Amino acid sequence: MGRRRRAQIRRIQPDPKFNSMLVSKFINYLLWDGKKSTAQRIFYGALSVIEKLTKEDGLTVFERALNNVKPVLEVRPRRVGGATYQIPMEVRTTRKETLAIRWVIKAARARSEYRMEQRLAQEIVAASHNEGTAIKKREEVHRMAEANKAFAHFRW
Amino acid sequence: MAEIITGSRKRARAKVMLKTGSGTIKINSCDPLRYFGRQDLVDLVHLPLKTAGVMGSVDIRVKVLGGGISGQAGAICHGIAKSLIKLNPDLKSPLKSAGLLKRDPREKERMKYGLAKRRKRFQFSKR
Repeated sequence: MGRRRRAQIRRIQPDPKFNSMLVSKFINYLLWDGKKSTAQRIFYGALSVIEKLTKEDGLTVFERALNNVKPVLEVRPRRVGGATYQIPMEVRTTRKETLAIRWVIKAARARSEYRMEQRLAQEIVAASHNEGTAIKKREEVHRMAEANKAFAHFRW
Repeated sequence: MAEIITGSRKRARAKVMLKTGSGTIKINSCDPLRYFGRQDLVDLVHLPLKTAGVMGSVDIRVKVLGGGISGQAGAICHGIAKSLIKLNPDLKSPLKSAGLLKRDPREKERMKYGLAKRRKRFQFSKR
Protein backbone atom coordinates (compact mmCIF):
# COMPACT_ATOMS: atom_id res chain seq x y z
CA MET A 1 0.00 0.00 0.00
CA GLY A 2 1.19 3.50 -0.69
CA ARG A 3 2.59 5.39 2.26
CA ARG A 4 1.79 8.90 1.15
CA ARG A 5 -1.92 9.15 0.58
CA ARG A 6 -4.85 6.88 0.09
CA ALA A 7 -5.09 5.75 -3.54
CA GLN A 8 -7.94 7.22 -5.54
CA ILE A 9 -10.85 4.92 -6.30
CA ARG A 10 -10.95 4.24 -10.03
CA ARG A 11 -14.36 4.48 -11.59
CA ILE A 12 -15.20 1.85 -14.19
CA GLN A 13 -17.87 1.74 -16.86
CA PRO A 14 -20.78 -0.67 -16.25
CA ASP A 15 -20.80 -3.70 -18.53
CA PRO A 16 -22.42 -3.43 -21.99
CA LYS A 17 -24.99 -6.18 -21.59
CA PHE A 18 -26.54 -5.78 -18.15
CA ASN A 19 -25.33 -2.30 -17.18
CA SER A 20 -23.96 -3.81 -13.99
CA MET A 21 -20.84 -2.58 -12.19
CA LEU A 22 -20.42 -5.98 -10.56
CA VAL A 23 -20.32 -7.78 -13.91
CA SER A 24 -17.93 -5.21 -15.30
CA LYS A 25 -15.59 -5.65 -12.35
CA PHE A 26 -15.77 -9.43 -12.67
CA ILE A 27 -14.83 -9.23 -16.35
CA ASN A 28 -11.90 -6.98 -15.52
CA TYR A 29 -10.66 -9.51 -12.98
CA LEU A 30 -11.01 -12.26 -15.56
CA LEU A 31 -8.91 -10.27 -18.00
CA TRP A 32 -5.47 -11.40 -19.05
CA ASP A 33 -2.99 -9.38 -21.15
CA GLY A 34 -5.56 -6.62 -21.75
CA LYS A 35 -7.76 -8.90 -23.87
CA LYS A 36 -11.13 -7.55 -22.85
CA SER A 37 -12.99 -8.92 -25.86
CA THR A 38 -11.90 -12.44 -24.94
CA ALA A 39 -12.79 -11.92 -21.28
CA GLN A 40 -16.26 -10.66 -22.23
CA ARG A 41 -16.84 -13.61 -24.56
CA ILE A 42 -15.89 -16.05 -21.80
CA PHE A 43 -18.09 -14.38 -19.21
CA TYR A 44 -21.22 -14.01 -21.34
CA GLY A 45 -20.65 -17.51 -22.70
CA ALA A 46 -20.51 -18.84 -19.16
CA LEU A 47 -23.79 -17.11 -18.34
CA SER A 48 -25.53 -18.77 -21.27
CA VAL A 49 -24.10 -22.15 -20.21
CA ILE A 50 -25.54 -21.48 -16.74
CA GLU A 51 -28.92 -20.69 -18.25
CA LYS A 52 -28.93 -24.01 -20.09
CA LEU A 53 -27.83 -25.84 -16.96
CA THR A 54 -30.20 -24.33 -14.43
CA LYS A 55 -33.11 -22.99 -16.52
CA GLU A 56 -32.75 -19.78 -14.52
CA ASP A 57 -31.66 -16.26 -15.42
CA GLY A 58 -27.86 -16.30 -15.67
CA LEU A 59 -27.38 -12.95 -14.00
CA THR A 60 -29.47 -13.91 -10.95
CA VAL A 61 -27.55 -17.15 -10.53
CA PHE A 62 -24.29 -15.21 -10.84
CA GLU A 63 -25.32 -12.64 -8.26
CA ARG A 64 -26.55 -15.31 -5.87
CA ALA A 65 -23.26 -17.20 -6.28
CA LEU A 66 -21.19 -14.12 -5.47
CA ASN A 67 -23.33 -13.30 -2.44
CA ASN A 68 -22.79 -16.85 -1.18
CA VAL A 69 -19.02 -16.52 -1.55
CA LYS A 70 -18.74 -13.15 0.21
CA PRO A 71 -17.01 -13.56 3.58
CA VAL A 72 -18.29 -11.85 6.73
CA LEU A 73 -15.18 -12.15 8.89
CA GLU A 74 -11.51 -12.63 8.13
CA VAL A 75 -8.29 -12.61 10.15
CA ARG A 76 -5.62 -9.95 9.82
CA PRO A 77 -2.22 -10.10 11.49
CA ARG A 78 -1.34 -7.53 14.13
CA ARG A 79 1.71 -7.22 16.32
CA VAL A 80 1.06 -6.68 19.99
CA GLY A 81 4.16 -6.59 22.20
CA GLY A 82 6.44 -8.70 20.03
CA ALA A 83 3.96 -11.47 19.25
CA THR A 84 1.88 -11.45 16.06
CA TYR A 85 -1.73 -12.37 16.56
CA GLN A 86 -4.35 -13.23 13.96
CA ILE A 87 -7.14 -10.82 14.75
CA PRO A 88 -10.61 -11.60 13.39
CA MET A 89 -12.12 -8.54 11.73
CA GLU A 90 -15.23 -7.73 9.78
CA VAL A 91 -14.76 -7.40 6.02
CA ARG A 92 -15.68 -4.09 4.38
CA THR A 93 -18.34 -4.30 1.68
CA THR A 94 -16.01 -3.40 -1.21
CA ARG A 95 -13.44 -5.90 -0.02
CA LYS A 96 -16.16 -8.56 0.34
CA GLU A 97 -17.00 -8.11 -3.30
CA THR A 98 -13.38 -8.14 -4.41
CA LEU A 99 -12.60 -11.30 -2.44
CA ALA A 100 -15.68 -13.10 -3.75
CA ILE A 101 -14.75 -12.27 -7.35
CA ARG A 102 -11.15 -13.31 -6.83
CA TRP A 103 -12.04 -16.63 -5.20
CA VAL A 104 -14.61 -17.60 -7.80
CA ILE A 105 -12.20 -16.90 -10.66
CA LYS A 106 -9.33 -18.67 -8.94
CA ALA A 107 -11.50 -21.69 -8.19
CA ALA A 108 -12.75 -21.72 -11.81
CA ARG A 109 -9.21 -21.61 -13.20
CA ALA A 110 -8.23 -24.59 -11.05
CA ARG A 111 -11.07 -26.76 -12.44
CA SER A 112 -10.51 -29.41 -15.06
CA GLU A 113 -13.26 -28.70 -17.61
CA TYR A 114 -11.87 -28.16 -21.07
CA ARG A 115 -12.98 -24.57 -21.69
CA MET A 116 -12.81 -21.55 -19.37
CA GLU A 117 -16.48 -20.88 -20.19
CA GLN A 118 -17.39 -24.30 -18.82
CA ARG A 119 -15.11 -24.00 -15.80
CA LEU A 120 -16.55 -20.62 -14.85
CA ALA A 121 -20.15 -21.73 -15.41
CA GLN A 122 -19.72 -24.86 -13.29
CA GLU A 123 -18.02 -22.96 -10.47
CA ILE A 124 -20.72 -20.26 -10.44
CA VAL A 125 -23.52 -22.84 -10.39
CA ALA A 126 -21.74 -24.71 -7.58
CA ALA A 127 -21.31 -21.49 -5.60
CA SER A 128 -24.97 -20.62 -6.07
CA HIS A 129 -25.78 -23.92 -4.31
CA ASN A 130 -23.23 -23.20 -1.57
CA GLU A 131 -20.83 -25.80 -2.94
CA GLY A 132 -17.48 -25.77 -4.69
CA THR A 133 -13.94 -24.58 -4.08
CA ALA A 134 -14.75 -20.89 -3.75
CA ILE A 135 -17.28 -21.62 -0.99
CA LYS A 136 -14.73 -23.86 0.71
CA LYS A 137 -12.29 -20.96 0.67
CA ARG A 138 -14.84 -18.74 2.37
CA GLU A 139 -15.55 -21.37 5.02
CA GLU A 140 -11.83 -21.75 5.61
CA VAL A 141 -11.52 -18.01 6.22
CA HIS A 142 -14.52 -18.07 8.56
CA ARG A 143 -13.01 -21.01 10.44
CA MET A 144 -9.79 -19.07 10.95
CA ALA A 145 -11.77 -16.14 12.29
CA GLU A 146 -13.72 -18.40 14.63
CA ALA A 147 -10.56 -20.13 15.90
CA ASN A 148 -8.93 -16.78 16.73
CA LYS A 149 -12.00 -15.36 18.39
CA ALA A 150 -10.05 -15.02 21.65
CA PHE A 151 -7.99 -12.19 20.13
CA ALA A 152 -10.99 -10.25 18.95
CA HIS A 153 -10.49 -7.64 21.67
CA PHE A 154 -7.28 -6.48 19.90
CA ARG A 155 -9.38 -5.15 17.04
CA TRP A 156 -8.34 -1.71 15.84
CA MET B 1 -21.09 17.87 -48.64
CA ALA B 2 -20.47 18.19 -44.94
CA GLU B 3 -17.19 19.25 -43.49
CA ILE B 4 -14.61 16.68 -42.43
CA ILE B 5 -13.67 16.92 -38.78
CA THR B 6 -10.89 15.02 -37.09
CA GLY B 7 -11.12 13.46 -33.66
CA SER B 8 -8.33 11.59 -31.95
CA ARG B 9 -7.49 9.45 -28.99
CA LYS B 10 -4.22 7.65 -28.20
CA ARG B 11 -2.68 6.78 -31.59
CA ALA B 12 -5.96 6.73 -33.47
CA ARG B 13 -7.22 9.47 -35.80
CA ALA B 14 -10.80 9.58 -37.04
CA LYS B 15 -12.08 11.70 -39.91
CA VAL B 16 -15.77 12.25 -39.36
CA MET B 17 -18.29 13.38 -41.96
CA LEU B 18 -21.62 14.19 -40.38
CA LYS B 19 -24.87 15.43 -41.92
CA THR B 20 -28.54 15.36 -41.08
CA GLY B 21 -30.17 12.14 -42.20
CA SER B 22 -31.73 8.92 -41.04
CA GLY B 23 -29.19 7.64 -38.55
CA THR B 24 -26.84 5.45 -40.55
CA ILE B 25 -23.32 5.12 -39.21
CA LYS B 26 -20.48 3.68 -41.26
CA ILE B 27 -16.97 3.17 -39.94
CA ASN B 28 -14.49 2.53 -42.75
CA SER B 29 -17.63 1.66 -44.76
CA CYS B 30 -18.50 -1.01 -42.21
CA ASP B 31 -21.36 -1.40 -39.76
CA PRO B 32 -20.09 -0.29 -36.30
CA LEU B 33 -20.84 -3.57 -34.54
CA ARG B 34 -19.17 -5.54 -37.30
CA TYR B 35 -16.18 -3.22 -37.24
CA PHE B 36 -15.58 -3.41 -33.49
CA GLY B 37 -17.17 -6.77 -32.75
CA ARG B 38 -17.94 -5.48 -29.27
CA GLN B 39 -21.03 -3.73 -27.96
CA ASP B 40 -19.32 -1.47 -25.39
CA LEU B 41 -17.25 0.26 -28.08
CA VAL B 42 -20.33 0.80 -30.25
CA ASP B 43 -22.01 2.34 -27.20
CA LEU B 44 -19.04 4.68 -26.86
CA VAL B 45 -19.47 5.81 -30.47
CA HIS B 46 -23.18 6.41 -29.82
CA LEU B 47 -22.52 8.34 -26.62
CA PRO B 48 -22.17 11.85 -28.12
CA LEU B 49 -25.30 11.30 -30.23
CA LYS B 50 -27.30 10.23 -27.19
CA THR B 51 -25.98 13.14 -25.13
CA ALA B 52 -26.99 15.58 -27.86
CA GLY B 53 -30.29 13.78 -28.40
CA VAL B 54 -29.76 13.44 -32.15
CA MET B 55 -29.63 9.64 -32.26
CA GLY B 56 -31.22 8.54 -35.54
CA SER B 57 -31.36 11.98 -37.11
CA VAL B 58 -27.81 12.27 -38.45
CA ASP B 59 -25.82 10.24 -40.95
CA ILE B 60 -22.18 9.63 -40.15
CA ARG B 61 -19.31 8.34 -42.22
CA VAL B 62 -15.96 7.81 -40.54
CA LYS B 63 -12.51 6.98 -41.79
CA VAL B 64 -10.42 5.83 -38.88
CA LEU B 65 -6.71 5.08 -38.91
CA GLY B 66 -4.09 3.99 -36.43
CA GLY B 67 -4.20 2.70 -32.90
CA GLY B 68 -6.22 -0.21 -31.55
CA ILE B 69 -9.97 -0.70 -31.48
CA SER B 70 -10.47 0.98 -28.13
CA GLY B 71 -8.53 4.08 -29.13
CA GLN B 72 -10.34 4.18 -32.46
CA ALA B 73 -13.72 4.12 -30.72
CA GLY B 74 -12.57 6.99 -28.50
CA ALA B 75 -11.31 8.93 -31.51
CA ILE B 76 -14.64 8.52 -33.31
CA CYS B 77 -16.52 9.61 -30.19
CA HIS B 78 -14.35 12.72 -30.01
CA GLY B 79 -14.75 13.46 -33.73
CA ILE B 80 -18.52 13.07 -33.66
CA ALA B 81 -18.81 15.37 -30.65
CA LYS B 82 -16.72 18.02 -32.41
CA SER B 83 -18.73 17.80 -35.62
CA LEU B 84 -22.04 18.01 -33.75
CA ILE B 85 -21.24 21.50 -32.51
CA LYS B 86 -20.44 22.54 -36.09
CA LEU B 87 -23.88 21.29 -37.05
CA ASN B 88 -25.66 22.99 -34.16
CA PRO B 89 -23.70 25.30 -31.77
CA ASP B 90 -26.44 24.97 -29.15
CA LEU B 91 -25.27 21.43 -28.48
CA LYS B 92 -21.98 22.73 -27.17
CA SER B 93 -22.92 23.05 -23.51
CA PRO B 94 -24.40 19.55 -22.98
CA LEU B 95 -21.50 17.96 -24.84
CA LYS B 96 -18.97 20.01 -22.95
CA SER B 97 -20.40 19.20 -19.53
CA ALA B 98 -20.35 15.51 -20.48
CA GLY B 99 -16.63 15.95 -21.18
CA LEU B 100 -16.97 14.73 -24.76
CA LEU B 101 -15.20 17.68 -26.39
CA LYS B 102 -11.96 17.18 -24.53
CA ARG B 103 -9.22 15.35 -26.37
CA ASP B 104 -8.19 12.72 -23.83
CA PRO B 105 -4.55 13.74 -23.31
CA ARG B 106 -3.36 10.37 -22.03
CA GLU B 107 -0.84 8.81 -24.37
CA LYS B 108 1.46 5.84 -24.06
CA GLU B 109 4.33 6.80 -21.77
CA ARG B 110 7.75 6.83 -23.35
CA MET B 111 10.35 4.15 -22.67
CA LYS B 112 13.23 5.36 -20.50
CA TYR B 113 16.86 4.31 -20.64
CA GLY B 114 18.21 2.93 -17.39
CA LEU B 115 14.81 1.41 -16.68
CA ALA B 116 13.40 -1.92 -17.80
CA LYS B 117 10.08 -0.47 -19.00
CA ARG B 118 8.36 2.90 -18.61
CA ARG B 119 8.64 2.79 -14.81
CA LYS B 120 9.82 -0.70 -14.00
CA ARG B 121 13.36 -0.73 -12.68
CA PHE B 122 15.96 -3.42 -13.12
CA GLN B 123 16.43 -5.70 -10.14
CA PHE B 124 18.72 -4.14 -7.56
CA SER B 125 21.89 -6.03 -6.84
CA LYS B 126 24.16 -4.78 -4.08
CA ARG B 127 27.38 -5.79 -5.87
